[in-house]
Amino acid sequence: MGLIENIKSFSIIENLSAEKNGLFQSFLANGFPTIKQEDWKYTSLKKIVANDFSVEGNGVTVSEEDIKKYSLGLQHKIVFCGGNLISKPSIDGVSISAFSEFESQNKDAISVLNSSLAKKGFTIKIAKNTVVENPIEILFFTSTKQDNFVQYRNNIDVGENSQIKFVERIQNLSDSKCFVNHFTQINIRKNAKVEYNKIQDNNENAILIDNMNLYQQQDSSVIVNTLIFGGAFTRNNLNFEQNGSNCDSNMNGISILDNNQFADNHTFMDHKQPHCRSNEMYKGIYLGDSKGVFNGKIMVRPDAQKIDAFQSNNNLLLSENATIDSKPQLEIYADDVKCSHGCTIGQLDDDALFYMRSRGIREKEAKAVLTYAFASEAVNNFTIAEVKKLAQKRIAEKLHVDLDFNL
Amino acid sequence: MSAKQKQTEEELLNEVTSSEYKYGFTTDIESDTIPKGLSEEVVRIISAKKNEPEWMLDYRLKAYKAWLEMEEPEWANIKYTKPNYQEIIYYSAPKQKPVLDSLDDLDPEMKKMFDKLGISIDEQNKLANVAVDIVMDSVSVATSFKETLAEKGIIFCPISDAIQEHPELVKKYLGTVVPARDNFFSALNSAVFSDGSFCYIPKGVKCPMELSTYFRINEAGTGQFERTLLIADEGSQVSYLEGCTAPMRDENQLHAAVVELIAMDDADIKYSTVQNWYPGNAEGVGGVFNFVTKRGICYKNAKISWTQVETGSAITWKYPSCILKGDNSIGEFFSVAVTNNFQQADTGTKMIHLGKNTKSTIIAKGISAGNSNGNYRGLVRITKGATNSRNFSQCDSLLMGDKCGSHTFPYIEVKNNSSKVEHEATTSKIGEDQIFYCNQRGIGTEEAIALIVNGYCKDVLSQLPMEFAVEAKKLLEISLEGSVG
Amino acid sequence: MISIKNLKAGIEDNLILKGINLEVKAGEVHAIMGPNGSGKSTLACVIAGKEDYQVQEGTIDFEGEDLLELSPEERAHIGVFLSFQYPVEIPGISVSNFIKTSINERRKAKELDPIPAPELLKMMREKMELLNIKKGYLSRNMNEGFSGGEKKRNEIFQMAMLEPKLAILDETDSGLDIDTLRIVANGVNKIKTKDNAIIVITHYQRLLDYIVPDFVHVLHNGRIIKSGSKELAHELEEKGYDWITKEADKKWA
Repeated sequence: MGLIENIKSFSIIENLSAEKNGLFQSFLANGFPTIKQEDWKYTSLKKIVANDFSVEGNGVTVSEEDIKKYSLGLQHKIVFCGGNLISKPSIDGVSISAFSEFESQNKDAISVLNSSLAKKGFTIKIAKNTVVENPIEILFFTSTKQDNFVQYRNNIDVGENSQIKFVERIQNLSDSKCFVNHFTQINIRKNAKVEYNKIQDNNENAILIDNMNLYQQQDSSVIVNTLIFGGAFTRNNLNFEQNGSNCDSNMNGISILDNNQFADNHTFMDHKQPHCRSNEMYKGIYLGDSKGVFNGKIMVRPDAQKIDAFQSNNNLLLSENATIDSKPQLEIYADDVKCSHGCTIGQLDDDALFYMRSRGIREKEAKAVLTYAFASEAVNNFTIAEVKKLAQKRIAEKLHVDLDFNL
Repeated sequence: MSAKQKQTEEELLNEVTSSEYKYGFTTDIESDTIPKGLSEEVVRIISAKKNEPEWMLDYRLKAYKAWLEMEEPEWANIKYTKPNYQEIIYYSAPKQKPVLDSLDDLDPEMKKMFDKLGISIDEQNKLANVAVDIVMDSVSVATSFKETLAEKGIIFCPISDAIQEHPELVKKYLGTVVPARDNFFSALNSAVFSDGSFCYIPKGVKCPMELSTYFRINEAGTGQFERTLLIADEGSQVSYLEGCTAPMRDENQLHAAVVELIAMDDADIKYSTVQNWYPGNAEGVGGVFNFVTKRGICYKNAKISWTQVETGSAITWKYPSCILKGDNSIGEFFSVAVTNNFQQADTGTKMIHLGKNTKSTIIAKGISAGNSNGNYRGLVRITKGATNSRNFSQCDSLLMGDKCGSHTFPYIEVKNNSSKVEHEATTSKIGEDQIFYCNQRGIGTEEAIALIVNGYCKDVLSQLPMEFAVEAKKLLEISLEGSVG
Repeated sequence: MISIKNLKAGIEDNLILKGINLEVKAGEVHAIMGPNGSGKSTLACVIAGKEDYQVQEGTIDFEGEDLLELSPEERAHIGVFLSFQYPVEIPGISVSNFIKTSINERRKAKELDPIPAPELLKMMREKMELLNIKKGYLSRNMNEGFSGGEKKRNEIFQMAMLEPKLAILDETDSGLDIDTLRIVANGVNKIKTKDNAIIVITHYQRLLDYIVPDFVHVLHNGRIIKSGSKELAHELEEKGYDWITKEADKKWA
């Protein structure tokens, strides 16, 4: 049986409310997206949804060693196991609890499916004027005997003038496949500052569709860093909406993929108000038979004047069978703006490589250094030392060199 | 912005929107027109009027059947009421016959029209070194310099003549680059095209003059479906120009052309278009719907270069493309697209890299004013076998006024790891500091804008043959007279 | 030639010039010096007519015309030239094309025919020699990819070509090495006649060793707080600005 049949049976057992059933039926009407849809042109779910995933498997346990192994060792940790909240820190002005209902505006099939079925995830409220110095780690562990499809649904509300940083990781502990439909909504109120780091370094059985919506009010500033090292299939939908003037939105991404990994970064920067800025930088490094997709859209609505929007997507194809499809887009309806995007696809510079080798650096190491140099523009934007360190370590590992890039 | 500046900006914007289309006259020429509507019968009538061989009729009927099953595409970022295809007249020909080699025998009315359009097809052209084919409504009405060209073995004639006189060439190449089933509009064109230009440059021949086709829609209610087929045999070279105008009418007229270019090994084709179909009035009423499929194929070491200056049409849907099949082949696309009032343009190119060491360059400059919307849509595809290929794309958009839009939709697909692709796009308005700098040196705001826009488009305009470049520059000035960023 | 009376101007609510009085006659060279942020460049922009600045009070009379009533290009047509501190890049437009357009626009305003090409070329050649400008420079795009020195030289080249009555040199010396400075200054001196006038705006007196002023004014906090002969510039070089600005601050406090 395919996934859709299993979801159907699950929905019957769940006895959905009328409202949720309505959402569920609207999902069923078209099912999972296909490559005929423009937003999924380069990203096929066909093989994935043909799997016989069970839906919402039972909770499992996670050991202290596992937590230690997959954590960055930050002071504050929120830990989920099988979608259940098992530990959380206590921080003044920050309330952390398990899933609670909230509505979302997203109309795409995957998000609609999430809002109709999800019952797990977190709710975090940061009171106004709260400055949390130490970042908060959020760890989701999954581990089931059979292949599993789960939905997490999270909501964060950051109060006026507050500042907070998160590092999120989803980790599959078993050898069975785990398909996570992850949905996070963040409201950022006036003059608040938020940084969100996604460490996507799951095992080779992991499938992830991650939807994140950020709604910004005036004078707020947001950074989202996406680091893709692991996982078999990753699709990130990152949607920024600026609802007040003088907002800053920043996106940094690095992906380094090998084997048969697939990763798709889909970003949408919606400038709705004047005097705002956005800056987006995605670096992709592709090895083995990996495949990358980038789709970045900058929209400037009518009357959203004085916008500075910048986007860049740079890619290195380092193996014969690696491929990349990139679709940067600008949709501009206001005239007093400065918007640009750039996209490059290429290889390491032969001259630089030769120069380094002539100085005695072995080819593999020279290549690794150049590759790291390529990624460093994004890596240097990571403000949390542990995140930066992890990026350096994983790049070295993926390139099979024993180098410390922290030059 | 100061109040004074705002005021001048409004005045200037008004001026832009009120600048008139100067080619909007109609000409009273008796014509042979068939009843409106499209059916198998109509396709047969067109073919019969042209006295076509059986294979040509078959080709048309197959295309017609394919078209019946196809749907009008909706993916472009344009909004319009789809034409009622049964309300269009598919064949209209000036009664003047047959095609002439000399202007002396031309209908005086028609001659007057050409004078108004500023086209000279008489012997003076020898000086300008341009051979012209003129297509009015559905048929080719005059071709100049046929004989001079024939001395070199060059065939330059209406495609309807080519079907009669060079059936082997037409049969061999027609529909090979743009198959009838390629898209909705190419299928329609393949079924009902009535004329257009045919050109064949023999091996090793460098065409001694510019070849040019001038398209004119004259008759009310007619669609224009011309077909151009250009074959440059091994090692040959040709530069081809194309211009278009139409009368001002309240209705939307449909233009659905197909252009196929074949550049054999070592051949070089330069194809330039100055498109100035009637864009509709300031309220967005009327204007030509321009749905065009243009594509060329390059064999070994061949080069195809598309240059277009698009200022007209209510709707433009056009993607002149290159299939870089042969190793070391080169594709180029240089475009300026200006939209004003309620015009909409969705235009760009596709560069399909199949051969090794293939190179492509895309320079697209968009300028949007009034309530218009301009879109760049392009595809760069590097296939697995296209080792060592290169693409460079630069897409810039300039906005004038806060009611227009400008959009960029590039698609980049790379499946070869020795290839390099670079794409850059920017959107901005004309810099106030640039205008002030010009003002300070005594250059008025209007002239400053003309100057800056010309500078902005220079990379494209410089690709045009001399006499076209002058016309294009003038067109740009008329289209944007006085607008301020 | 130019007479500025009680000029008060600024951006929006921020008053930058707080009552400037300045009289420049034909044949004179005036230097305006002052610390950063004193309003030197604002004064230059207001004279040239940059619309970002609003004039709240005062008058500028230029040879009997009310300059404040004229557009920037009209001011240029009657002979006002500003050498920009930061010359603007105009991609795609060659230097020669730009200058030709400037000259012809001015001729058009005076109901003259465009300048004949040979005459223009001859003039360009002469002026290029004057400023030690190399061939090939004319076909480069306006200021695009120019070094700091090239940009400034381009400004003076345009000044030579346009033959203004009043030239305002806004920090023309900044970013120039000593050789370029000398070339630029020599160029200016050769363009100088008894019929035109120059206002040199500068932070340092270095340039004034080459372009010798008849008068030196110190601008501070939007006002001319001291005027004198060229000796004043040397005094400022030695003692800095503090000794006069402090006194002035007391006075206006």
